[in-house]
Amino acid sequence: MTEGLKLTVDRRSGLAVLYTDGYINNQGGEEIARAAYELIDQGYTRLLLNLHGTKIINSIGISILIEIIERMLQIDGRLGFCALTPTIEKTFHIMGLAQYAGIFPDETAAIAALAPGP
Amino acid sequence: MTPATAALPWRELTTLAGSGDGEQTLVARLLAHWRAECGAGTAALYLAADDGWRLVLRDGEEPLPPLLSDPARAGLAWVQFSGALVAWPADRPGEVEAPASPLSALLALAARGLRLGHELKLRGFEADYRGVELEALYDVGLAIASTLDLDRLGEEILLRAVSLLDARRAALYLQRDGVLRLDRAFGGAAAAELDPAQEATRRLLAGGTPPPAASPLPGTAYLLTAPIAIEGVARGLLAVADKESRHGVGPFRETDERTLALLANQAAIALENAHLHRQALEKERLEREMELASEIQRGILPRAVPAVPGFELAGWNRPARHVGGDYFDFLPLPGGRLALTLGDVSGKGVAAALLVSTLHSALHLLVAENGVEPRLFERLNEHILAASATNRFITLFLADLAPATGELGVLNAGHNPGLVLRATGELEQLVASGLPIGLMPGVHYRREPVRLEPGDLLCLYSDGITEAASPEEEEFGLDRLTAQLARTRQEPLDEVIAALGRELAGFTRDAPQGDDQTIVLLRRERA
Repeated sequence: MTEGLKLTVDRRSGLAVLYTDGYINNQGGEEIARAAYELIDQGYTRLLLNLHGTKIINSIGISILIEIIERMLQIDGRLGFCALTPTIEKTFHIMGLAQYAGIFPDETAAIAALAPGP
Repeated sequence: MTPATAALPWRELTTLAGSGDGEQTLVARLLAHWRAECGAGTAALYLAADDGWRLVLRDGEEPLPPLLSDPARAGLAWVQFSGALVAWPADRPGEVEAPASPLSALLALAARGLRLGHELKLRGFEADYRGVELEALYDVGLAIASTLDLDRLGEEILLRAVSLLDARRAALYLQRDGVLRLDRAFGGAAAAELDPAQEATRRLLAGGTPPPAASPLPGTAYLLTAPIAIEGVARGLLAVADKESRHGVGPFRETDERTLALLANQAAIALENAHLHRQALEKERLEREMELASEIQRGILPRAVPAVPGFELAGWNRPARHVGGDYFDFLPLPGGRLALTLGDVSGKGVAAALLVSTLHSALHLLVAENGVEPRLFERLNEHILAASATNRFITLFLADLAPATGELGVLNAGHNPGLVLRATGELEQLVASGLPIGLMPGVHYRREPVRLEPGDLLCLYSDGITEAASPEEEEFGLDRLTAQLARTRQEPLDEVIAALGRELAGFTRDAPQGDDQTIVLLRRERA
């Protein structure tokens, strides 16, 4: 895991996957938010955050993710998270993120749940 | 600016005001009307935050600063409500008095509602995050209880410190060889080691802040440290730096100090657990080695008693520890003769056992060359002097038995007198003819002749028997030994020894054995 955040975006049909690698703090969170808002502006209403490369997140990073979730709710979109460490998954549940965003064990399950129907 | 209220879409505003989640939209609509009324291209609503005024809504295309400390310097005109600013770019920046109008009153109320909503959300977030902190501390406690892997625990504790305290950088130091060495760092380089003798390190361990040049996390602005201490002694240091906010970094809060101290305490417990585990493993390893040494030493002592025509023979040894410094042996000699020997190396334990091993080897080699003659002990003395530490010596009794005649040739190097219990009831003592082996060079010995008659019993023993102590610290003594032998002398020799063992146990009342105990018995059968 790198300590600054490295973000990769994979645009697919009707859904975009954002891969994170590193610390989701203020800087990393802002980077995710920028990419997410850009995708929303491009018309994506289904976003998946794959946190396989992230072992650590702080409260600022969480507050930014909550803002992204709120934005997704405003546009009636759906946001999902997958490949979370047990610590981050527990944090998301305590902080209420799991109430408004899907949490999935892996990318396959997440895409199956999030991808728009035919 | 003279806001007109007639144009306000009262129906829509009423609906928004009455809906559960329409607050933000309501404020946005009102802000748009405000902008239209004041003729600005862009207007924004800022809410009070810890670090200034934070932008929450904007109407118009012109970018405005996300955070304001001085709106006038940003070229804005503004109206201030309770905890809120409505601002817009203006040729003449400065505060404008809020007009007395329904729009103004509505915006003030809606902004206040929005601010309270934001505050509520923030407090809810903080309360939830306290839950995350508690869970984290609980999880670290569980991790400590479930593993002794210091590497894993070190990473767990460091990452938890970084995330819970919103730190940008962190480092964990553990004490090795008297200095605090960097175990791991997060977010950037950290000093490789900290010397506890240095004032700056002492200040860090006390939770203080050293001069920037002495910071373990160079290039950071705000530092927080907690010592990892076991029973008041620092064994490490946990350091975090630069607490993040949405707008940069700042100092840590009091609650952060408590959280870091708790994590440092968890680290201390993990270190102590690992240390105790290592000690237990080391103890186990030593016990295994001692058991092995004990087996080796048991191999040195005779496994069986040789058959000697016309005589009964027995030997018994019980070391005080795993290994001991007592030794007995039976050495076959040419012409059907047999040498009986019993020795006692000064001291106990491993050092004594090693010298027993040396004695055993040397005696077997030298007896073949020298026979049981004074020169045997003189050569042995030279050999032990050369091979052992200066403060080690051996008392040694050796009797050369001619079974056909009952003649004994006795050498005694400083050992307890051999006891001859005559069949007639008399007691003779075979006293030493020279100093213990290995005590000093140039010692001479004499070979003393003795003859065992039918029914006579020879007893060689170590002082672990006569000096066995009762709980009142009274010694068993030579008199009790001879009396006990006299009582049982007619019994088979194994029973004589077993009875002596019971007598000793009764006397000492099973107090811990202070010294190795050894006995060799030889009885000439009655014709």
